[in-house]
Amino acid sequence: MPMHALKDALSFGDLPASERIGFAIFIAFCLVFPWISKGSFAQAVMIQFLIFCLYGLGWNLIGGYGGQVALGQAKNVGMSAYTVALFMVWWDVPFWFSTPIGVIIATVESFILGYFLLRLKGHYFAIATICVSLVWQQLFVNWDLIGGARGVELPLKETPNFVYMQFTSPIYYHYFAFVLVMGAILFMNWFRKSRLGYQLRAISANEEVAESLGINIHWVKVKAYCITGVFAGMGGAFYAVYYNYIDPFSVMHLELSIMIALMTMIGGAGSMWGPIIGAMILIPMDRYLGAWLGGSGIVGVDFMIYAFMVMVIAAYEPRGIWGIIEKARRRR
Amino acid sequence: MGAKKKISRREFLKTTGSLAVGSAAFSMGWGIARAQPAEVKIGVIYPLSGSVAHAGKMSKDAVDLCVDYVNNKWADLPIPIGQWEGIPGLNGAKIKLIHADHRGEPDRGADLAKKLILDEKVAGICGCYHSSVTKTVSTVCERYKIPMINPESTSPDLTTRGYKWFFRATPHDRIFLRDFFEFLGLLHEGKVPGVGAIPKSELSKIGACTENTEWGAATREVIKEFAGKLGYEIVSDVSYPHESPDLTAEVRNLLGPKPDILMFASYISDAILLTKTMKEFRASAKMFWSQDVGFYQPKFMETFGKDIDGIMNRTVFSKKLFGVKPVAAHINEEFKKRSGVDFMGTSARAFTGMQAWAYVLNKAGSTDPEAIRQAAEAIEIPGKDLIVPWKGINFENEAGETNQNTWSSGLIVQYQNQEPEIIYPVDVATAKLLYPWPGLK
Repeated sequence: MPMHALKDALSFGDLPASERIGFAIFIAFCLVFPWISKGSFAQAVMIQFLIFCLYGLGWNLIGGYGGQVALGQAKNVGMSAYTVALFMVWWDVPFWFSTPIGVIIATVESFILGYFLLRLKGHYFAIATICVSLVWQQLFVNWDLIGGARGVELPLKETPNFVYMQFTSPIYYHYFAFVLVMGAILFMNWFRKSRLGYQLRAISANEEVAESLGINIHWVKVKAYCITGVFAGMGGAFYAVYYNYIDPFSVMHLELSIMIALMTMIGGAGSMWGPIIGAMILIPMDRYLGAWLGGSGIVGVDFMIYAFMVMVIAAYEPRGIWGIIEKARRRR
Repeated sequence: MGAKKKISRREFLKTTGSLAVGSAAFSMGWGIARAQPAEVKIGVIYPLSGSVAHAGKMSKDAVDLCVDYVNNKWADLPIPIGQWEGIPGLNGAKIKLIHADHRGEPDRGADLAKKLILDEKVAGICGCYHSSVTKTVSTVCERYKIPMINPESTSPDLTTRGYKWFFRATPHDRIFLRDFFEFLGLLHEGKVPGVGAIPKSELSKIGACTENTEWGAATREVIKEFAGKLGYEIVSDVSYPHESPDLTAEVRNLLGPKPDILMFASYISDAILLTKTMKEFRASAKMFWSQDVGFYQPKFMETFGKDIDGIMNRTVFSKKLFGVKPVAAHINEEFKKRSGVDFMGTSARAFTGMQAWAYVLNKAGSTDPEAIRQAAEAIEIPGKDLIVPWKGINFENEAGETNQNTWSSGLIVQYQNQEPEIIYPVDVATAKLLYPWPGLK
């Protein structure tokens, strides 16, 4: 990475003080969380939150900055997760070697797919990504060589193992996920100030105008789509070692793709912090409401609360929570 | 900052000595408290919402009833837990269940297992119905070295992973399918009451229809394995997505090659949709067999009424057992009073799984995980104490499997006049086989 790019990634000076303070609080909170959290469930929810932050930050590139509603991120999550799991099951390959391979596979798939699909626009592109994602899921479900519908279970190592990323304590997973998210945030900070970032935003605002400025629209979109694949791939690799079991329904399901997009939209698509805000609200709400109400016999209330909140946010401010924050700022 | 104060040797010895005595006393006290608690927490993870919530609710009612029997005196209950008033081996400690809802999602199940083990400090886990969720939950238990007794997940894989902390009470799909093919063999030999010998040439074409999660996929593989080995032909092999909104194409593919035997593995919502669609097609074959679950639930029976007659299910429980197992009738009466329905295969196994937990805790006499694990390995629960018609519960390592209850066995029942009649094992059959299957009209 050239020095100026690194400088751009590390520099948050152009952001308002309130955002910088918010970011500092976020970092501090993530760092101390394992030590202040009450219980392992909170830590499990926190790790889920960090995984979804990673997915969301990636999706924000193509869906938020690029304005292309891609609804097939789950296939990239799945491809990378399967690579890590199968490499470990078949050849006992450690996590650190299989993860780059998984991420490359997810990225190459994004490139090939994006090259063709990104010629479509609007709803057609969204529908096409859903279709391709469903085809991939069905392929994985019926492909017996890779476990088919029965999924893949990663072999448990006798002792906690850094090479295979198998730990008893969730703290290690927490910090590893946190490092991934921090990397993603720094990348996004560079990206929004980069040539690619400006080009993508120009395309999102008006494709014809962007094209008249000499931007190769198709190529820029493909690049953004590939980066989205990288983020999903990293999240998928982590998911595989964290849960030790994957099947096409947990890592390649359409619901996962929709959740990633929905979460980013609710938080504020096209804004730096939108995906994190979305994940901060939806993930704990989903997990805690399920845990509190599900076991108590009050079944279904959590779904209702969840749906109501999504509707209220969507109706009040379609630009998501970040839109509400910006409105409030302008009023001041 | 004040000047540092020197500590004399006497003071040092006094302080460290009292600390050592204090900590020893504390750890002893803690040890005793841990070994003989006033209550023992067991985490129970079932699908309480989503498309199979009904089965989860039945299982929850069943384990709650079992714990009620264990914790309180039920003088007229003719098995030991009725007299217990808590776990005798733990000085009467009561079992406290902590329920959690996994919604059929393996990752949610794993997170809930961590919550129960690390936050709630449960002594063990019970559940989880879906084989896929049982897989992730048992992995968490293995990692944290906490025992798990699984009452009802039937994917054969679960006990072939060499896990030391996972115990399965139910027979698995390989056992159930072996029973079914043995039953077909008896049918060919004319040894099934109610029908003469049916030549294999008349009953050899199989149409398999299985849902495509862990359980259905495992069933599909075992069907193929047995059919291939025993000379049956699979003429249609349909694997459909669980919770499909429409199964018309699947039913068309299933029935198209006119199979003699229809074999299913479906959860309740799929079982209802499949049967409705097959009814539209006026489906017919000579035999209709299913892997329990969706086709053997009160909701299924209520939905289709007399149309269910002739459908066969593998199970571990039938009301028809009451004649030979009065304890099952006794407990079923109380279960029906509370949940409004009779025990079925799933709920009966949930009850039995929790009963196994009670016996294991009693034998362990401690809540120490290793003591519980050793007790589970050594436990031998006699069949007379159970509501299911097994020889008993005995977790063994056998034929590449670990901690599988080798004393469990299956039944095949057939709906006749909307009642599940036992037709296999033939020596305990309560009715003659209704053959051929009347079809869906």
